[in-house]
Amino acid sequence: MRRPSKTCPVCETGVRVVDYKDDRTLSRFTTERGKILPSRLSGMCSRHQRQLSVAVKRARQLALLPFIRGYTR
Amino acid sequence: MTRKYEVVYIFDGALSEEQVNTHLTRFHGLLTSPESPEPVTQVSHWGKRQLAFRIKRHDTGYYVIAQFKTKPDLMKEFERAVKLEESVIRHLTVVNEGEGPRAPVVPKSSDEDGPEGDE
Repeated sequence: MRRPSKTCPVCETGVRVVDYKDDRTLSRFTTERGKILPSRLSGMCSRHQRQLSVAVKRARQLALLPFIRGYTR
Repeated sequence: MTRKYEVVYIFDGALSEEQVNTHLTRFHGLLTSPESPEPVTQVSHWGKRQLAFRIKRHDTGYYVIAQFKTKPDLMKEFERAVKLEESVIRHLTVVNEGEGPRAPVVPKSSDEDGPEGDE
């Protein structure tokens, strides 16, 4: 049985480059703990998945996204 | 030879807008060269924002994004000046990939038809 193929959520919107400053969108592609979702779950094409990974890491440096969500010292 | 860059500054949240602007003019003055007399193409102030985690005991930061075109060898001095400035909590410089101001990505997935903003 073949699963219906998922389409890339970024390609669908016609955006070519994933923006690291758009934290609300990026957070949709992270887990509840703040990890990056694998493309298996996010359904992204490999090109956009690579861009996503860089974008999330940049957003973390800028404190737009947490490294670990829900972590308090 | 000039390249396009984009820099995001996070200033101390306690600073006023004028103080931020004086720092910005000082930083951007370092980028001027005969080849690019007007280096900065766009500056946008996001204003005060909650940080996702504490940085050096700061909970809020004043975000400014600037796009500019300059010679790569001027960047070294620019980076040095920004690093030395203590009111800049953090900054990130990236080479702008050539796509101007981009529209934010609005993903639509089949399992979510409701309006945006119900997180």
